[in-house]
Amino acid sequence: MGEYFLLQFKMINRRMIEIGFNPIIGYCLLLIAFVGVSVYLFALSEFAPWIFILIALYFISKLSDRDRNDFLKSVFSGKTYLKLRVIENVIPAFPFLAFLAYQQSFPAFAILALMTVLMALFNLNSAINFTIPSPFYKKPFEFTVGWRNSFFLIFFAYFLTIMAIMANNFNLGAFALLLVFLVSLSYYSKPDDEYYVWIFNKSAQGFLWEKIKIAVIYSTMLTLPILITLGIFYFSQLLILLALMLVGFVYLIAIILAKYAAFPHQMNVPQGILLGSSFLFPPMLLAIIPFFYLQARRRLNDILI
Amino acid sequence: MINIQNLSKYYGAKHALNNVNIQFEKGKVYGIVGENGAGKTTLFRSIAGLEKYTGRIESDIDKFKNHLGFLQTIPFFFNKISGKEYIRLLCNARSVNPGDIDERNIFDLPLNQYASTYSTGMKKKLALTAILMQENQAFILDEPFNGVDIQSNIIIENIIHKLKSLGKIVIISSHIFSTLSDTCDEINMLKEGRLIRKVIKEDFKKLEAEMKAVSVGNKIEKLGLK
Repeated sequence: MGEYFLLQFKMINRRMIEIGFNPIIGYCLLLIAFVGVSVYLFALSEFAPWIFILIALYFISKLSDRDRNDFLKSVFSGKTYLKLRVIENVIPAFPFLAFLAYQQSFPAFAILALMTVLMALFNLNSAINFTIPSPFYKKPFEFTVGWRNSFFLIFFAYFLTIMAIMANNFNLGAFALLLVFLVSLSYYSKPDDEYYVWIFNKSAQGFLWEKIKIAVIYSTMLTLPILITLGIFYFSQLLILLALMLVGFVYLIAIILAKYAAFPHQMNVPQGILLGSSFLFPPMLLAIIPFFYLQARRRLNDILI
Repeated sequence: MINIQNLSKYYGAKHALNNVNIQFEKGKVYGIVGENGAGKTTLFRSIAGLEKYTGRIESDIDKFKNHLGFLQTIPFFFNKISGKEYIRLLCNARSVNPGDIDERNIFDLPLNQYASTYSTGMKKKLALTAILMQENQAFILDEPFNGVDIQSNIIIENIIHKLKSLGKIVIISSHIFSTLSDTCDEINMLKEGRLIRKVIKEDFKKLEAEMKAVSVGNKIEKLGLK
């Protein structure tokens, strides 16, 4: 079993090296990002412990894939398998549990701890025959696939919007709006298989424009219920909401261009740093977007006519 | 027409394609055979423009890449995309309206299910259906019969005959000789990146016998099966 975890550790390190991070720096950055986002989340909303549980369970559920577990069962005997699965679940849950303990959110801590162990007993079939309906079926694939992977987060954002109205907390509503954009950004985090670019009968410029157009239309569809609801209840803050929408679109465009600027590879460290810095200092986008656009065009010209 | 002249491709020190010269005419079906690693897929990827190479690949079809249907050996599918959405994606990419997809689903695929849940043969049939709906002028079919059931094999053979009659260029690779001899006008043998032989339909039987003799020889005896 020790060998298995050592192998997993090596695989994570290799992945970090592949995207250009020294693993030690990678782990430090992950820790800093985790603490930063957690502190921000707990400062923002009283529902933070429950959001925390959902996020942790999302990561843990990734380990419950049936095919993956069928393989583990074929390699490890019953007791060892169960022990391995519990340890495997505890590892990603640990930072969340530690932070909940630090925040003295003991009920949430207990629920997450219990769920972490219980989820080792169940496998989720990722190859189920049930197809989750998607409103984005006409123009596959980013939002079609992304919606099916994250629809619960979108509904959670809608739930937060209702809570924001009930608690008269505009900031929470604004957070819900940004959450939808954050989720939409994640749809563009992985590089495309080259075949899915090659098939297009468009120039690099036309291809990028098409991707951006679909992203803007579909993200508008997702955010519209929040925008309308908040617009009705906080009409005086409508300009702020529209400004947030604009910011969301700009970051969406930036991440699409960054994705294809690295094509066919994963975004590299300098690109990641540039994009990350733009979250701290948004005016940087004025320079970053044209820079990524030119890089993306150059990359795509190799494969598109 | 596709005209390939002095096509070469290196992967590091490995000479994957070595000075390949070949022409593919409209309304004809071409088979490419060779052992694993002979360079078939590299040749196909070069024709598709997915590989950088030296030499020339020309076609009289304007913007050739946009009129080429490429069936890959192992088609890639996203985790949560249905068969119908996959077809729609490929047709959207070529600005083609696929019409009634259910009506055109001749392999009876469960198009509303996630493509990733399909068997190997079903994935192949889905990928083939999608490139057929793209209304291409030329087709590269890399192992189209792999993992496909007998009934569908017969359908695929008939599709290839239909494409030929429509004046399309069809290039196929297959490890099952009978599928090539039944569909191709010409078979080209690729060995270590070189095209070593071109065989016309009349000589297919002779070629098959020769390939059996060379490939099998006395290797089975060497196994020492008891």
